[in-house]
Amino acid sequence: MTTQLILVRYALRACLPARRRLGLLLPAVGAVLFGLLAHAVEGASRAEAFAEVASAGLFGIILPIGALVVGDAVLGAEVRTGTFHFTWLSPVSRVGIVVGRWLAGTIVAGATLSTACALAAVVAGVPRAAPAMAASVLAGTAAYIAVFVLVGAATRRAVVWSLGVVVLGERLLGAALDGVAQLSPGWLARAAYGGLSGAGELLRAGVPFGWAAVWRLALVAAVALAVAARRLQSLRLSGQGE
Amino acid sequence: MSAGARVQVDNVSAWFGQKVALSELTVEFGPGVTGLLGPNGAGKTTLLRIVTGLLPASRGAVRVAGGDPRQDATVRRVVALVPEDEAVPGPLTARQLVRYRADLNGLGHGGIAAADRALDQVGLTGVADRRLEGFSKGMRQRAKVAAALVSDPQVLVLDEPLNGADPVQRVKLIALFRRLGDDGRTVIVSSHVLHEVERLAERIVVLVNGRLAAEGDRRAIRDAMVGRPRRVLVRASTPRALGAALVAQEAVTGVTVDGDVLTVATARAGDLALALPRVARQVGARLREVRPLDESLESIFRDLVR
Repeated sequence: MTTQLILVRYALRACLPARRRLGLLLPAVGAVLFGLLAHAVEGASRAEAFAEVASAGLFGIILPIGALVVGDAVLGAEVRTGTFHFTWLSPVSRVGIVVGRWLAGTIVAGATLSTACALAAVVAGVPRAAPAMAASVLAGTAAYIAVFVLVGAATRRAVVWSLGVVVLGERLLGAALDGVAQLSPGWLARAAYGGLSGAGELLRAGVPFGWAAVWRLALVAAVALAVAARRLQSLRLSGQGE
Repeated sequence: MSAGARVQVDNVSAWFGQKVALSELTVEFGPGVTGLLGPNGAGKTTLLRIVTGLLPASRGAVRVAGGDPRQDATVRRVVALVPEDEAVPGPLTARQLVRYRADLNGLGHGGIAAADRALDQVGLTGVADRRLEGFSKGMRQRAKVAAALVSDPQVLVLDEPLNGADPVQRVKLIALFRRLGDDGRTVIVSSHVLHEVERLAERIVVLVNGRLAAEGDRRAIRDAMVGRPRRVLVRASTPRALGAALVAQEAVTGVTVDGDVLTVATARAGDLALALPRVARQVGARLREVRPLDESLESIFRDLVR
């Protein structure tokens, strides 16, 4: 068995057991409800109504929250509870550990959230937007998980910092500054969907869209993982609850 | 069987903010079992985490098998840690945890047999397929020992490994650790209980307030600890008669009487323990309570560093 497979299997079993994965059903159900909400938007076509709801609800709430739950579980929570040494104190490379954790998180969150958001498109009456929604949510999830893995490797209060990244970094700074939005998983995922589905109202000047946004998300994930691996090298594992 | 590797701690200091956990500590660990003794807060856990690379030293250097435990992956292959923390990945079974450690250490197909062997060594074979979250503290501790042993480490670092273990398991674990030391592995065992360390290790290192307080053969350490003057409280039915008789004993250096309570000062507590029932019988006194007044390990450790 390859090292990556060992790490992914451990993360799925130990960090994301079945009952925690069930916890992801909540944002998944929320996604579908947002799809239903699109029917309540007046004075717009089905596609425009869904794009509006997706922008605020799916990319603004469901995607970051769902990814945060999983992204924290695969590394930050283990560091906090004091069980990460079982993995850290081994000859496996730090890059291998980070990639293994990210893969496990992306598999679980990506599968759940992209399916739920695609279903939301169907429920909203825009089934042709479902593939674009699934692809952009999957790419956004992968980038978010990588960022949250980095936060878990860099700080003890990973949840607080992760929320800070989303609320302060993406929502406030990202809304005001194009430079921040160009690196923000939330803004890029939104632009990816806008470009792939033809929802022009989700595009933003200066932010790549469509497949270019997907590639940018991949780049953000790669950089976050590289920094996380480097950060893991200097991680201080002081023990349970410290 | 693996040969032990040397662990060299050279002038190491560690601090967390304003708190100094270790101060200019120089000590070496070699093959065999070494007991690391000290009161709570002495810096034992910090030292063990630095030795295994989980924490960096603020100053100084640590070498394990010639390498830096923070940087060298080869060192992480020869070191295993059983931390004091109770934390275990609850959703896993004991077998899954031990197999995971075997797989990470590249044991491949041999990992299955190695895991079974490690679980058997700690007496968990019968419950190996139960989830760790349902384990008692002692069972979790043994699962962590199995996870450490599965990679056949040259250096085994055990932080309070007997915590939570029942008396039978204690005896078995002590025998296991001694056997590992006799095999030539470097085994470092920390504890704040003197008699526990005595049963485990020939060599003892004593830490107090982050400094090396004493180091050497366990008998010499014990003599240094038990040869100090101490006071014993005795509650008896005829305190004055008993006090007068005790004063005549060689082991007793002074007696004060307050109501039915005697405070007996001695430099030879062992001799006093033997003499007291005999003297009480001779004067017809009934002993109601006998307890040391300053027997806490902290007070003993403090005396050691004076």
